[in-house]
Amino acid sequence: MIRFLLNRVMGMVVVLFLVCLFTFVIFFVLSPDPAVQICGKNCTPEVIDQLRANLGLDQPFWSQFWTFVSGLFVGRTYGSGPNAIDCAAPCLGYSFQTSQPVFDMIAQRLPVSATVAIGAAILWLLAGVSAGLVSAVREGRFADRFITGLTLTGMSIPNYVLGLSLQFLLVVTLGWLPFPQAVPFSEDPVQWFSNYLMPWIVLAVGASAVYTRLTRANVIETLQENYVRTARAKGLSPGLVWRRHALRPALTPIVTIFGMDFAGLLGGALITETVFGLNGIGKMAADSITKNDQPVIMGVTLLAAFFVVIGNMVVDLLYTAIDPRVRVGSAA
Amino acid sequence: MNKHLTRAPAAILAAALLLTGCSGGTDDSGGGGDDPVTGGTVHMLQNADFSYLDPARGWDGGVNAFYRLIYRGLTMQAAGDSEDPNAMVPDMAESLGTPSEDGLTWTYTLKDGLAFDNGDPITSTELAFGISRTWDPEIGIGSPYLRNVIDAPEDYQGPYISGESNPSIETPDEKTIVFNLIEPFPEFDNVVAQVNAAPFPVGSGAGDEFINDVIASGPYTVDAYTPGSAITLVRNEHWDADTDDVRKAYPDAWEFEIGLEPATIDERLMAGQGTDASAIGGKVQPATLARLQDPALADRVISAEAYCTTYMGMNMTKAPFDRLEVRQAINLAIDRDSLVTASGGNQLAEPATTIIPPAVNGHKDFDLYPSENHAGDPEAAAALLAEAGLEDGFSFTLDIRSQAVMQAQAESIQQALEPLGIEVKLNVIDTSTYYETIGTPSQQSDAAITGWCPDWASSASTMVPPLVDGRVITDKGNTNLAQINDETLNARIDEIKAMTDIDAANAEWGEFDEEAMALAPMAPLLWEPSVFIPGENIANYIPNTSMTDLTIIGLKDPSQS
Repeated sequence: MIRFLLNRVMGMVVVLFLVCLFTFVIFFVLSPDPAVQICGKNCTPEVIDQLRANLGLDQPFWSQFWTFVSGLFVGRTYGSGPNAIDCAAPCLGYSFQTSQPVFDMIAQRLPVSATVAIGAAILWLLAGVSAGLVSAVREGRFADRFITGLTLTGMSIPNYVLGLSLQFLLVVTLGWLPFPQAVPFSEDPVQWFSNYLMPWIVLAVGASAVYTRLTRANVIETLQENYVRTARAKGLSPGLVWRRHALRPALTPIVTIFGMDFAGLLGGALITETVFGLNGIGKMAADSITKNDQPVIMGVTLLAAFFVVIGNMVVDLLYTAIDPRVRVGSAA
Repeated sequence: MNKHLTRAPAAILAAALLLTGCSGGTDDSGGGGDDPVTGGTVHMLQNADFSYLDPARGWDGGVNAFYRLIYRGLTMQAAGDSEDPNAMVPDMAESLGTPSEDGLTWTYTLKDGLAFDNGDPITSTELAFGISRTWDPEIGIGSPYLRNVIDAPEDYQGPYISGESNPSIETPDEKTIVFNLIEPFPEFDNVVAQVNAAPFPVGSGAGDEFINDVIASGPYTVDAYTPGSAITLVRNEHWDADTDDVRKAYPDAWEFEIGLEPATIDERLMAGQGTDASAIGGKVQPATLARLQDPALADRVISAEAYCTTYMGMNMTKAPFDRLEVRQAINLAIDRDSLVTASGGNQLAEPATTIIPPAVNGHKDFDLYPSENHAGDPEAAAALLAEAGLEDGFSFTLDIRSQAVMQAQAESIQQALEPLGIEVKLNVIDTSTYYETIGTPSQQSDAAITGWCPDWASSASTMVPPLVDGRVITDKGNTNLAQINDETLNARIDEIKAMTDIDAANAEWGEFDEEAMALAPMAPLLWEPSVFIPGENIANYIPNTSMTDLTIIGLKDPSQS
């Protein structure tokens, strides 16, 4: 087990390093000069040079990359003399646009994205798996066809269309929900809940459709396995066959995909957060891309990659618990 | 200080049951008229966060309006509801500055009773220190005027690195401050009205000290700041209204809600639920305009005139725009009426015929290239092209931003020039790199559509010269897109800038505008006003496309906020 974990951690570090390198290359080579963007009106070449020096952009590529990577582990110092600012490890740098520490920006926004992700995940898991089970049990009948049609619709609606439509219907036209407003849970739980309700629904609609189809297909396939037929033949009650022999193997792939989806969502639901004005990681990513705020883009990309890699590892570990056929040695 | 949303899964289902009837009720005590009343909280709904809380770093229309709530300077732009809102008036100074005879020294006297939000008095020393922060290479990235106009030792790098305030700013006593200039600058009152001319306690503000908190000198101070999400301002108890002739500071607090989609802001302001009735936002989105015709909303709609001119610069270093007749022909042929339609109709655009917009002091109304209803005069244009030997037309490349409105404007120009045989090829550039590209002479194409606004509206000295002064052409960040370098125009700029009578200078800027347009280095296209809709409970809101004066806004009924 220790060897398995060590292997996974090593792989994780390599993946994160490569993500870091590629993101850095993309924004170093392809993006416009941030100094010119910050300089704005009444800009002169001298001011641009000064800004490039302030931001460290006058250094060669590898020097900038090394400073960034080493800052993650040992921190770094920005500025000089009386203006020097110590950025403690893990230092993700400072936003070019606002001079805020990227780590703090992420820490402030992560609870929003986590709330979005957890609520949506609960919804889509409950809705998706139960609808999938019903569909599998009623295979070929009306309920199955109805659910299959519904999932097709759910998968076909883009998030931004559903988000704006829901907002227009529930808030503007019917007035059932108030407009989303930035309030903490402790101050106004009703407003807080209504802020998240629509994003949860929007994210859950598309995802639960996928989970319904996946669950349906897996359960139907499992029910056709020989060992299920044997269990039925030896007279086990249908409920017991379901619980003991069909459900567990059928749900194993669901755990895999859920781990990946949930981890990806923790890195920010870019469109949904933007549509509903939720200041989470996704909206921060969208804003930083339009402003070419490289340190923030780097930070968000690394965070998203980190969650996906961690999610993968957790899924692998859960796999060994759920499915005894998976051996630690072979998984590594 | 920072407020975070916390997880509370157990309460979620319980909260769901309470969803209906959640907009809190209010009573009608206090207020009720249309005039602002002291008290309450004004809410501001906005898309983007302010660039910086530190005025040495930030400098744009939005943040300048915000700084006015928390910082003071020697002088400032007059109140938004005054007769001439562009005018310069004293702020912490007893009067506008007194120049020496040679114009190289300006003296100001501070009022009594000025204090920071911590109660410490503001004297000339704190002001000199605050202004000197502008010379710091890492902090002073905001407005360049203080650095460009006030003298300083050659190696001066601000108070933190050089260890003292700029020695060219003298403080003979607590109330007197004297500025020594590099060369005479008759509009120096505008320079000390720049946002980075705010006072700060000596020694404060190094490094990142003012990134998340401030030391306020205005009527409000920052109570809480969650970057990218929210700012709360509360009263600065040490601000004395008797020392301030401009700021009214009616509300007790300001709440800035940041990160909202512009369409959502419009919806919320139109609906006016709960505290949104006491809210203001940015300009209304074009898509929302049609809905504002609703009589229930029409009373609240306010239009604000344009302070910027949208124009097409013609690169005179490239043929055939090196020919005067061609540039004049383009000016004649463009159908500005169709440009108005392309830009969203007459609520959002009007035809521009001069460089200086009507809202900016110094504007002179003229039209050197007239046509009926501004729809273009292709015959007159054809005659000029024939004079230039281009009766069969030509083709040129027009730089535009990847933005729907600008593309529609470019297509309108394409259609207007097509009958003359002029083929306009569009070079669509990503918004993030647009200004970098057109401001780099080696990269700009034959022409470009862009806009220009003055740095202050009390005169046109920052409106026309940056666009036509041949001596400001630079390799990067160039503003003279035509790259016109006409000795007569250059000499006229120097002559008018040297005038000490600002009103007389403004009359000359109007004349200069006409002289410049006779050479047609650009084709003025549009002035683009904006439409705003404040909440029902907002009073004395006079939106301005240059800088809305937040300090005069109040609530009709503070109990509803």
